Amino acid sequence: MAIKTGRYGTIKWDPLGVTPVLLISLNTWKLSLKTDYEDVTCFGDTNKVYVPGMRDISGSLGGFWNSSNVAIFEATEADTPGKLELAPNSTEATFIFSGLAYLDADIDCSVSGAPKVTSSFKAAGPWVEAP
Amino acid sequence: MSDSSEIDNALVAKLGSDLVLLSLMPNGVYMDESPPGSTRFVIVSLLFAADEPVFGGRGYEDALYLVKAVALSTVGADMKAAAARIDVLLEDGDLVVPGYSHMAMFREERIRHTERDERDSSIRWYHRGGHYRVQQAVI
Repeated sequence: MAIKTGRYGTIKWDPLGVTPVLLISLNTWKLSLKTDYEDVTCFGDTNKVYVPGMRDISGSLGGFWNSSNVAIFEATEADTPGKLELAPNSTEATFIFSGLAYLDADIDCSVSGAPKVTSSFKAAGPWVEAP
Repeated sequence: MSDSSEIDNALVAKLGSDLVLLSLMPNGVYMDESPPGSTRFVIVSLLFAADEPVFGGRGYEDALYLVKAVALSTVGADMKAAAARIDVLLEDGDLVVPGYSHMAMFREERIRHTERDERDSSIRWYHRGGHYRVQQAVI
């Protein structure tokens, strides 16, 4: 399998948490899958020893403001999580990360260019990595 | 499919269809260079162009154009009026381009200088206008 470009990445979202649809005008996403580790180093150990705890899933999205799709901003008002689906490359559409998440949003508007949108998310349920 | 050259064409067409500007610069509006023998004209040149990508393609195009009135010193051109007319047409103006949605058009800096003719040093050419940024979203 060859390395694929991120140019054809996708971000999909469904506020109802069922069938995510494409969010437009975005150009970056980042997913963090970090596990907490407990330090269980004991007397006599020759190095530090850890045991894994729970995996923490969070990340960020980014792109440009587009008034025809304000789902990210609407999501910030949601009391229930939506379903987020991230694909590194749409030509390998089966390779996705998805799960329930809460989103927040920022918009950065300046005189010199298109307003930039950023969003961070946190898992609100189990996430899956397909395939 | 968006065609970036259409942005150039639309800019030249907008300026070239303005009767006030044409009355001041009657030889017309041209991309990069005017026809031989021209003494009062407007030049449009692309100085810089960048594409802003989004997932799935190009999000918008960000271009900087040199737009200036150029006239031979002996023809009595009203350079002040010509540059002002260019600014009226372009500053915060609209630009309809097939395949694009207009975002913004504005001047970033003005230019004004006098050029000595290469072949006859007694001749001067006046240049006045500005650098105009044009941003068009791909649709």
